[in-house]
Amino acid sequence: MTERWQEEPWAQDLWWSGKTTRRRFLGLSAATAAALGATMLVPAPWRKAFGQAKPYKVGIMQPLTGVAAAGGKTALVGSMMAIDRVNKTGGVNGRPLEAIVADYESKPDVGRRKVEKLLVEDQVDVAEGGYLSNVCVACMPVFDEHRTVFMVGVCLDTTITTTKCSRYVFRPFDYAPAQAVAFAPYLVSKLGKKWHIAYLDYAWGQSTRDAYAAEIKKLGGEVVGTTGIPLGTADMTSFLSKISGSFDGFFGIFFGANAVVLATQAYDLGLTKKYRFAGDGAVAESTHLPALGQKVEGFTGINRYIPVLDPPLNTPYHKRFYEEARARLKQIDPSGPDPDRYVQSNFEAINFLKLGMQKSGFRGREDTMKLIEALEGMEVKESDDFPQGDKTLRKEDHQAFIREFIFDIKNNKHRLLEVISKEKTFVPPACSFQKA
Amino acid sequence: MIPFEQLLVQAINGIVTGMILALVASGLTLIFGIMDVVNFAHGDLFMLGAYVGTTVFVTTGNFWLALLGACVTMAALGAALQITTLRPLLGRDPLTTILATFGISLVLQNYALWQYGPVPRKIMEPLTGHFQLFHIEYPWYRLLIAMLSAVIIGGLWLFMKYGTYGIWIRATTQDRLMASAMGIPVPRVHTGVFAIGAAMAAASGVLFAPLVGVNHAMGFDFTLRAFVVVVVGGMGNLGGSILASIFLSLLEAFASLWVSPAQAVIVSFIVLILTLLFRPTGLFVPTPK
Repeated sequence: MTERWQEEPWAQDLWWSGKTTRRRFLGLSAATAAALGATMLVPAPWRKAFGQAKPYKVGIMQPLTGVAAAGGKTALVGSMMAIDRVNKTGGVNGRPLEAIVADYESKPDVGRRKVEKLLVEDQVDVAEGGYLSNVCVACMPVFDEHRTVFMVGVCLDTTITTTKCSRYVFRPFDYAPAQAVAFAPYLVSKLGKKWHIAYLDYAWGQSTRDAYAAEIKKLGGEVVGTTGIPLGTADMTSFLSKISGSFDGFFGIFFGANAVVLATQAYDLGLTKKYRFAGDGAVAESTHLPALGQKVEGFTGINRYIPVLDPPLNTPYHKRFYEEARARLKQIDPSGPDPDRYVQSNFEAINFLKLGMQKSGFRGREDTMKLIEALEGMEVKESDDFPQGDKTLRKEDHQAFIREFIFDIKNNKHRLLEVISKEKTFVPPACSFQKA
Repeated sequence: MIPFEQLLVQAINGIVTGMILALVASGLTLIFGIMDVVNFAHGDLFMLGAYVGTTVFVTTGNFWLALLGACVTMAALGAALQITTLRPLLGRDPLTTILATFGISLVLQNYALWQYGPVPRKIMEPLTGHFQLFHIEYPWYRLLIAMLSAVIIGGLWLFMKYGTYGIWIRATTQDRLMASAMGIPVPRVHTGVFAIGAAMAAASGVLFAPLVGVNHAMGFDFTLRAFVVVVVGGMGNLGGSILASIFLSLLEAFASLWVSPAQAVIVSFIVLILTLLFRPTGLFVPTPK
């Protein structure tokens, strides 16, 4: 019996002996090089259609590994779906879009480094993506420094288009102040006056909490308490057990796996039976429903996108988007989930870039200012590019205003309750751009 | 003044969470104590065990079969990983095993995302009732997990104390060379220990899954805490890890009555730093002479 099993006689032919001969090394290197070379000789799919036209490089940053990888992978489906569609329909200004995807591993420091690489080494023309608000906020100065447009795909932290706003950054979907303006009247008039808010204790959760607390108070309601729970907490029971007293509703501001934990454990402790359970739509995204089962039944939320095909979402545009998104999501998840707001907003973010590039005659980063001017104040109509509905990309803060959907969960599915028009979600801009 | 009922609720929360944590930490401490391997892939074995549990659960509809199936599958995977990845590194710098387990962790995470996709999965708890505990409804299932954790850890202790294989494991821990000279198949003992550790990770993953949903990141938080527990309890000390799990969970539960959850979580890390500074062998081991 030897200490190292591979030194035993029976294992001599089975295990790597540890000797690297020159012949073996060269042989393996040649085989690897041949395999890589063969892969590189296969042209990119858009090459055939566009001949020698130089592609626009679109840098896409998403968390494809780490804690937020599940959301990042879903978000990437939206971006790639839009890019493939643009390339199939003639590209932008006769040129294809080439996606250069950077995985920021769910970490702000890696995000900054990857964005630097996209801008300096890969020389991308525009960028899109995001997902985690703290990463978006950390990367914004890099886009400023390199004077490149960043179309946010998911990040919802309010400050991105208020106190930290940037001339180079656009958010083509809603944000907490607009959601709060749209949802608070429903909360206070139909669900209850007194609320306890539980939120994810980081940039997005805190800014969303503030927005809802202000609106509820403005309408005569009251926020009796708040509970901030750190990102990634697997067992929230100790924190949720403290929540008690006399109030009407329990409001959750959570997303991703954290939302599944909140809804499950709040139900287990009887909180969602004792109080009306409402919150940001991210608590009950379509991708969470299989894991939540009956525990999220009756939840009332607001979202920019819900996967229902009832009026007014029974348009041919939305049906086409829904079908293709479902087919693509099935490729990354065998359960075949419905699309969620991350797929929708990344899809539409790329389409905003497309329209801006067309309108400005964008050639490359040297035309960044023209692209910004084209995007500022852009009004778009419900179409194949924007299946969610009409939008206004406000000039003063680069914040979009869109219609919102108030829904509840019935039989583990979204049920549309009310549609709030984009005009009713407007809030005054709170941004002053530094000179670009 | 905090009402007495809040203190009692948090005491129960602390003990229950502590027992769940103890189950995760005991697998980790077993592997470290016997093999000197800091297993960074433990949380991923926990997560993959839960995913395997969902597969068995969907197929059979039986929670207990899911638990058993996950343990057996992950024990086999643990043995295979030990043979192919950690055995060849035996006797090398400990850093190489840390890097190897870190690599395994990344592979398992990405495998789970690729195989199962980003949508979280569900395992239904076998016990769905509640009882009224002052102002909250407390789920019976949480108490069941705490009891099952105690049973599994107790079984492990009996096995280590009285089983032939357990005696081999203890002998290998005390003196690897002497154990080998006495005819104990040390490489096989190491494989067995890693398999047991992986099975315990899988058991905790399946038991915990109904409370959080199964996703590729479900092991992150508990593994981080388990590492804190292993250090505070004394590296490789099974009893110390269990006491440390309950101690830290109680501390965090009580702290949350006075400070915010974010500050309550920091309490564990303060204890970790103080332990490393003043009692680096661990809080629950006899003072070294």
